[in-house]
Amino acid sequence: MSINSAFHSQRKWNIGFILFLTLLLLLLSQISIRLTLITALGISLGFVLQKSRFCLVSALRDPILIGMTQLTRAFLLLLGISILGFALVSWGASQSNIPLSLNIFPMGVHTVVGGLLFGIGMVLAGGCSTGIIIRIGEGFAMQMLAFFGLAVGSVLGERSLKSWRYTFGEWPGIFLPDIFGWVPTLILELIVLLTLWQLARWWQKKQLGE
Amino acid sequence: MKKTLQTIIHGPWAYWIGAIILGLLNILVLIVRRQPWGVTWNIEIWAEWIGTNLGVLSDRGFTFEGLMAASGTYLNLGLLLGAFWATLVASQVRFRPIRDKKFFFSALIGGLLMGYGARIAYGCNVGALLNGIASSSLTGWIFAFAVFLGTWLGSKLLLKYLM
Repeated sequence: MSINSAFHSQRKWNIGFILFLTLLLLLLSQISIRLTLITALGISLGFVLQKSRFCLVSALRDPILIGMTQLTRAFLLLLGISILGFALVSWGASQSNIPLSLNIFPMGVHTVVGGLLFGIGMVLAGGCSTGIIIRIGEGFAMQMLAFFGLAVGSVLGERSLKSWRYTFGEWPGIFLPDIFGWVPTLILELIVLLTLWQLARWWQKKQLGE
Repeated sequence: MKKTLQTIIHGPWAYWIGAIILGLLNILVLIVRRQPWGVTWNIEIWAEWIGTNLGVLSDRGFTFEGLMAASGTYLNLGLLLGAFWATLVASQVRFRPIRDKKFFFSALIGGLLMGYGARIAYGCNVGALLNGIASSSLTGWIFAFAVFLGTWLGSKLLLKYLM
C-alpha cells in the first residue's frame, strides 16, 4: 500500500472521531465548563506530545546512548517557558487574591530514591507516565502492559511512603523565591538552564563531531 | 503551503515548536486548574478504587463520583484521546504488538519501578520534575537530578540486557 492510499484509508474514521470528540466536549460543557476546558487542554497536550515526539526518556537517555541532545535542549526551553509562565501566573493570582497552589513538595531520602527508580523504570518501560499514555494512544501493546505495572507500582509506592518518612525523615519543601526573592530566583534558574543548554550543545559536538 | 500542511498532519513537528506549544498549554492548565498539570497521582487513585472494588485493597475512601469530578481524570483521558487522534489524522492507527518476550518483562518491571518511584517522590516527570522546577521548588531540581542518574543506570541495563 502506498503512503498516499494509507493516508486516505483512515479518513472516515478521523471524521467520525472528530464528531465523537465534539460531542464529548459538548456533553461535558453541560456539566462543567472547567472540566470541558481541562479536557480540551488534555487533548491538545496529547496531540502535541505525539506530533512533536516529545519524550523525557529520549531527552535524558539519548545524550547518554547516542550523543544527541536536540530534544534535551528543547526540554530546557520548555522548562524556561514554564518557569517564567508560572511566576507570572502566581504573581497575577496573588494580586487578585485567587487561590493557586504550586508543586512545592516535601523532600527527603525518598525524593532521591524515587527519582532513581523512576529514571530506571522509564528507560525499561520505554516511556515515562505521560509517554506511556501517549504510546497507548498510538497502539503499543508494550506500554499497555507498562501502564498496568505503573498503576500497581503507584499503589505500592503510596502505601510505603509512610515508612520512608518514618525511617529517614522528611523536610518541608523549599520555595526558592522565599529565600532569594522572585527576581534573583528567576535569574538564577535561567542561568542554570542556559548553562545546561550550552553543556548539551557541547556534548553533542563532542560525541558526534559536527 | 501543501508541504507545510502535510507536515502539520503527518508530523513530526520540530522539537522546539513542540516545546513552545507545550509550555503555553502547561501554563494554561495552571490557570484553569489553579494547580499544575500532573499525571500519576490520578492513576494511583483510580487503581486504589479498582483495587478496593476487587477486594484486594483496603478502602481509602475513593468514590466513583469523586474520581469523575477530579480534574486529573480529564487531563489523562484527554492525553490518551489526543495522542490517538494525532495518530489517526496521519492514518497511522494500528495495533503494535510486543516484538520480543524480553520487552514483556521490561515493560512490566519498568512500569512497577516507575509507579513506585513516582509515588514516594510525590510525582512523575510532569508533576514533580517539569512542574516542580516550574514552581521554583528545590525538590523539583533534586528530583530531576535523581531521575537523570536513574536514566543513566537504566540505559546501562538496557544496553546490557535488552539491545
